[in-house]
Amino acid sequence: MIHVYTDKQNSEGWILQNDWYFNIYTGNEDFSEKEKEAIWQIDHAKLTGDKHIETKYGLGTVRNLSSGCKTLLNVMKNPDKVVNADECGKNVLDMLFAMDGIYLYMSRPERIHIADGTEICFNEKDIVVGRRGYEQWWSGEYERRDMDDL
Amino acid sequence: MIYDTIEFRAEPFSYFLSFADRITLVRGDSATGKTYLYQMLEDLKMTEKYQNIKLFNYKSDDFHNSLKKCRKQFIVIDNADLLLDDADRFFINFETGNQYMLFARNCDGLNLSAESFVVLNETDYQVTLIRELVSV
Repeated sequence: MIHVYTDKQNSEGWILQNDWYFNIYTGNEDFSEKEKEAIWQIDHAKLTGDKHIETKYGLGTVRNLSSGCKTLLNVMKNPDKVVNADECGKNVLDMLFAMDGIYLYMSRPERIHIADGTEICFNEKDIVVGRRGYEQWWSGEYERRDMDDL
Repeated sequence: MIYDTIEFRAEPFSYFLSFADRITLVRGDSATGKTYLYQMLEDLKMTEKYQNIKLFNYKSDDFHNSLKKCRKQFIVIDNADLLLDDADRFFINFETGNQYMLFARNCDGLNLSAESFVVLNETDYQVTLIRELVSV
């Protein structure tokens, strides 16, 4: 199940600023082979043992990873926290929605690949299945926002 | 328009950024070099030609008030989805003396045209902005 929150009124403890959170916390942790593979897949960055990265832009540290890649790593390292996915491109969102048991904040929909059997729970109450369910939920949400003049 | 184009070299890359609307929204996949471009613009704005560039990101102090003081500037905002509130979007729409390049995905509340939506493209070290196909 992927848990999606679309309102951040009760967002204490959530990771809303992914760059900042990664630079201060996540970037200091060790990365597994799976996480290194994710870094390669998104940023085409090779991670060295001393937390440097090699990309087409040159040498740097993990703090030079893209915001989307940092978001993905924040989710992988903090599966119990709600993480802001608003800054993610489709490539990162596709990977997030292929995961399970994660918590995301999204203020609006993006067109992404979602497998048919993927269960998504919106705001701890509405459970939908697959991309069709995801799109139908967002259509209803936008109708509600229109009615509420939001 | 403050700048119709921004051109510079940052070996091994050459940038040729062309703008067709006063507000440009740079979107696309993650890791296409948006924040790297932002960092290059931090240096470029120190040159006389590009001194009208004004930059904001999540580290900027007093962002909302600083934005509203900008006049006749080319304003670049990284992390714009995090930073922009409704009042900022209103200011961007109606303070027409400024030009904007926003690294943002959420276009709600902005007066945009089809020319506004672009993605950063790099081919053989040539970096350009190409139109994103959208319906507006």
